[in-house]
Amino acid sequence: MTSTSMAERKARLEGLSARRVGFYVGEAVVWALLIAMAVIEIAPIMWMFSTSLRNPGESFELPPDFLPTAWRWDNYLAVIRSEKIDFPLFFWNSLKIALIVTASQLLTCSLAAFAFARLRFAGRDTLFFLFLASMMVPAQVTTVPVFIIIRSLHLMDTHWALILPGMTSAFGVFLLRQFFLTLPEDLMDAAKIDGAGFFRIFWRIMLPLVGPGLSALGIFTFLGSWNNFYGPLLFLRSWDKLTFPLALVTLQGYMGMGNRAHVLAGIMMSIFPVLLFFLLAQRFVIRGIALTGLKA
Amino acid sequence: MAGMKVGRFPGEPATALPAMKRSMRTWVQEAIAGYLFISPAMFFLIVFLIIPILASVVLVFTDYSLLAPPHWVGLENLTRLLHDKRMFTCYRNSLLITIGATTLNNVIGLLLAMGVNRKMPGVLRYLLRTAFFFPVLTTTASLAVVWRFILTQDRGILNYLLQQIGLSPVPWLSSVRWAIPSVVMYDVWKSCGYLMVLYLAGLQGIPEVLYEAAKIDGAGRLQLTRYITLPLITPTAFFCIVISLIGAFQIFDNAYVLTEGGPGDASRTIAMYIYEMAFKRYEMGYASAVALSLLVILVAMTLLQLWASRKWVHYE
Repeated sequence: MTSTSMAERKARLEGLSARRVGFYVGEAVVWALLIAMAVIEIAPIMWMFSTSLRNPGESFELPPDFLPTAWRWDNYLAVIRSEKIDFPLFFWNSLKIALIVTASQLLTCSLAAFAFARLRFAGRDTLFFLFLASMMVPAQVTTVPVFIIIRSLHLMDTHWALILPGMTSAFGVFLLRQFFLTLPEDLMDAAKIDGAGFFRIFWRIMLPLVGPGLSALGIFTFLGSWNNFYGPLLFLRSWDKLTFPLALVTLQGYMGMGNRAHVLAGIMMSIFPVLLFFLLAQRFVIRGIALTGLKA
Repeated sequence: MAGMKVGRFPGEPATALPAMKRSMRTWVQEAIAGYLFISPAMFFLIVFLIIPILASVVLVFTDYSLLAPPHWVGLENLTRLLHDKRMFTCYRNSLLITIGATTLNNVIGLLLAMGVNRKMPGVLRYLLRTAFFFPVLTTTASLAVVWRFILTQDRGILNYLLQQIGLSPVPWLSSVRWAIPSVVMYDVWKSCGYLMVLYLAGLQGIPEVLYEAAKIDGAGRLQLTRYITLPLITPTAFFCIVISLIGAFQIFDNAYVLTEGGPGDASRTIAMYIYEMAFKRYEMGYASAVALSLLVILVAMTLLQLWASRKWVHYE
């Protein structure tokens, strides 16, 4: 700070040099671009939010208003109470699936990640490589056989079709392994000398220390399941089984031309839980993403 | 463990035997624990990933419509691949989307990260970061519905804004020329924030001393960027480019909701084509063939990048 103010004083004494002017112009351009990008990223969401609160007849108005001009929360009530579309049910379907998938991934991934990071056994590195390699396989390659498996298990049009394939993830194992590797080796040895069994070491000592990793994975998994569109599109047929995103896209088909405000109110409601989650744990999300990139 | 204790008189030389026995036993226990710990994850990986991959290799040689049992057709599906004009169109679309989205996502993601990494009050940094990252959290399919409202030709918001600055309206979603740029635009809006976070982590990993030292040597801002930031961000950039290429090649939801692959096949991606073959036409064998061709291309692309990375990635 002192160096800038000294430099400023010097500049004032000597008059604004060309370099100084260039500096301020550069600074202004950088800030203008940053703010412009922030506006571009947020404007569609602001428009959606304010239009969802407007009189449905005004949702096609131009110029578009990006700030709320009315507060018609009854649009939300209309969507929730709609006879044609059972929104609370879709919400519950999505929430149920996302919670089960998240809980099971936290368990299966942390167990495997701990073993890959801290236990020694024959074939460990080969098996871990198998997990890593499987992250590269595009979903399109596995969906046809998975579809056949689900169909032969008679699980079509049930939520199990979405839950079972999501019970674990190679990404989760990879992410948590990174966290376990940051814990000091001595911790493990000390616990072993004290005669603690491996499950006890895992459950009582190591797991509490990778809390941030678990939070990050929990949020990613919840988001992934909540936002999943392809899976429900493949496996769900009946109206009462649909999940939120699929129902929203279908809803747009039903009333998109007539009532934008209601469609947008539905989409806003699909963002609320995610927003809540994020505000509670933004740190973990950002750190979790960052950690996948490091040492990769 | 208590049973392992072997009594020994003071002064008697300790034999290595009990210690070895003990370490053998913990070693075996540790191995068993290891296999038990990975077994749940391994089970689901095998059932829903490894078996499916092997199964799709077998399916390639069959004709299977789900209604009748599969029957062997030899190489028919593979020769059909070579003559499938629609598939090549979809590959072309996916390639264009991938090039556009990967380039823009990475360039904008890096620039945003450099912007957010500047000296500024904490609150401002928090607000900017949240603004850039927020779209990442939203549902791809649902927000594509919102973007349809923004991009429609008549009374669409973007066209209105274009007309305000004197440009003519663009048929974003309904013309062959603009369908792919629209899909790319939506993807960049949706995911550049994700890359920003990755690049931000990379930038924060660059030691501050390097900048200090260069400043003392009289380096300007552009020189700092050119000779310190860019070379040292290359490992992060490599990772980001690999994952965004793989991701962009599999784009489905965006185009499915935004343009439905149209007009015609103008924005149909290869993922949408596989979906159509498998679940609209129930040609499971042929769909597997196309899917495996995608896998081969992705693996080849990644290996190519690994090879090329030696030329441009600087590891410390």
